[in-house]
Amino acid sequence: MPAAARIAITPHCSLTPSGAWTFFLGTCGVSFGIAALLTLRGYWPILAFAVLEMLLLGWALYSSMQRRHRSETIVVTDDRVEIELRARNATVRAEFPRHWAQVKLRDDVSPLRPTRLTIESGGRSCEIGSFLTAQERQQLAVRLAPLIGGMAESPPLPSGQP
Amino acid sequence: MATHTHTAAAHDDHDHKPHGWRRWVFSTNHKDIGTMYLVFACTMFFVGGTMALIVRAELFQPGLQFVDPQFFNSMTSMHALVMIFGAIMPAWVGLANWLIPMQIGAPDMALPRLNNLSFWILPFAFMLLLGTLFVPGGAPAGGWTMYPPLALQAGDSFPMMIFAVHLMGISSVLGAINVVVTVMNMRAPGLNLLRMPLFVWTWLITAYLLVAVMPVLAGAVTMLLTDHYFGTSFFAASGGGDPVMFQHIFWFFGHPEVYIMILPAFGVVSEIIPAFSRKPLFGYESMVYATAAIGFLSFIVWAHHMFTVGMPLAGQLFFMLATMLISVPTGVKIFNWCATMTKGSLSFEPPMLFAIAFLFLFTIGGFSGLMLAIVPADFQYQDSYFVVAHFHYVLVPGSLFAIIGAVYYWLPKWVGRMYDQKLATVHFWLSAIFVNVLFFPQHFLGLAGMPRRIPDYATQFADWNMVSSIGAFGFGFSQLLLPFIIIKCLRSGAPAPARAWDGAHGLEWELPSPAPFHSWEVPPSAAVIERGAEH
Repeated sequence: MPAAARIAITPHCSLTPSGAWTFFLGTCGVSFGIAALLTLRGYWPILAFAVLEMLLLGWALYSSMQRRHRSETIVVTDDRVEIELRARNATVRAEFPRHWAQVKLRDDVSPLRPTRLTIESGGRSCEIGSFLTAQERQQLAVRLAPLIGGMAESPPLPSGQP
Repeated sequence: MATHTHTAAAHDDHDHKPHGWRRWVFSTNHKDIGTMYLVFACTMFFVGGTMALIVRAELFQPGLQFVDPQFFNSMTSMHALVMIFGAIMPAWVGLANWLIPMQIGAPDMALPRLNNLSFWILPFAFMLLLGTLFVPGGAPAGGWTMYPPLALQAGDSFPMMIFAVHLMGISSVLGAINVVVTVMNMRAPGLNLLRMPLFVWTWLITAYLLVAVMPVLAGAVTMLLTDHYFGTSFFAASGGGDPVMFQHIFWFFGHPEVYIMILPAFGVVSEIIPAFSRKPLFGYESMVYATAAIGFLSFIVWAHHMFTVGMPLAGQLFFMLATMLISVPTGVKIFNWCATMTKGSLSFEPPMLFAIAFLFLFTIGGFSGLMLAIVPADFQYQDSYFVVAHFHYVLVPGSLFAIIGAVYYWLPKWVGRMYDQKLATVHFWLSAIFVNVLFFPQHFLGLAGMPRRIPDYATQFADWNMVSSIGAFGFGFSQLLLPFIIIKCLRSGAPAPARAWDGAHGLEWELPSPAPFHSWEVPPSAAVIERGAEH
């Protein structure tokens, strides 16, 4: 088994799955509570609309929480750097020879995109960490640089990396 | 799931945007959709305003001058529906679309396609509603509250109005769900809830109110429809139903609806006043809690709209006291805004002028609301012009002034150009003077006993009606300045810097002006959030 380093990054979601459940169930409680009171008095169509609306809210929360499933995995082995960019409906894979690959952090791409992090080799490049903040991207670059090394370098990998 | 191997460098074109009509019809961009909402709201504002001018022209002097009573009643009912559902609410949704993603550091709304759908439902809803003007029996004339059995006596317009209200409700719910999910899940790292701008907070609570009450409206109007066409008796006394219960159900929706129209205005004013006072907002957290308290109280005061239909004394007392309780969190807000301005380095650019006018004039509307909350007094004021004066003070110099103030505040950020501030100041003074000429005399008319929703009146009311009508035409025509100023700004305005106002804080001011088509594709850094979160 060759030594390998594996880094997985995912976009930030300000709502955790448990937070989403709490919020959804709380909203259902309010909406169904109102609808139930009126249903008990015979005005049941309100309950039907409340159910429809809560289904829509549940779907909206679920769809938004799917962002969590977007991820980028960078695996560095003795001779290869493998990148897997996973989105909701597609997975993109890129592979570079480690000896000839390098990490590049470019500055001043645009005011809104102050840096861009890529792994490059032989005229090919793959951008990673586009959903990170500039500081996080810099931290990732600092972490990747000694793992991948510069052009024509293959520094030893730390053993026991998860 | 599609899988392929990446072989070439990906270079995103970050300023790529579609062109032509497709950009608008298929838009999923929050700024484009926000623009469409605002243009739609402006159009409906002038449509509803024209209806109001027809009403005021008829009331200029006693007797029937221009329109027959049926058409007059249609105009009052349609004016309300168009202004509430077509002008004020879409304007707030437009502002939410423009500002919330920029203010929370998100690239777009959480559900962009849903956002497109929620806008494009609106034009069809209003084609249906305005189409009632051309059907046998004329447009709905029983008031925007659609009380049975009067509403059921409408002609062919009845089902059209019901379906139009359904479509507006669907549009509002889709927009509200999008706002809730965006604010809950798309905030930039480090931007926790108690660091969000007040506009985002007020919109979050507004959206929650919308989600809570819209099924009630949808259910109520559906039951009206089934009573009329399918033989049910939810509200038909002849079949054992209870028409008064419709009023309870309607106002259970209707009172939160009032706050849906005013809470975002609180948010806007909470952004503008600190910017032009050059001080942080006084009591940020108390503002958040006050907004939440107002939101909660809005659910338990509905029956103050219907004291005169008859209810137990305990009920009257409860709803009176609960209504008065709202003045506590509202007072917290008013005092916080005043405290923010105290010893501030004030300047009086157009957004600030509109915010200060909001502060004074909304407070007048609040005080007359307190008067209406007093049960024995309400028995006198009910259905009089005093009520008309009250809710117009809340909605015109309240909601509408805040919307105009917001447009003048963020316009340089949206279009990258500065507008003619002198002309905007003229717009403000004309609006502020005429709005009082228009609505203040209506207090006197109401106290003197003039009922609302009548095309003719006793001669004792003639003088103040004439003054009010002069104010209406002055106010209406002075609003034409707003589109003129915006068009002039788009054509020849001087370039605006990223921070168009030196005291402005917030993430949106960290973006260049005009804000790029895709904002915050990359989350803002901690330092940027820190700068932006200086409330």
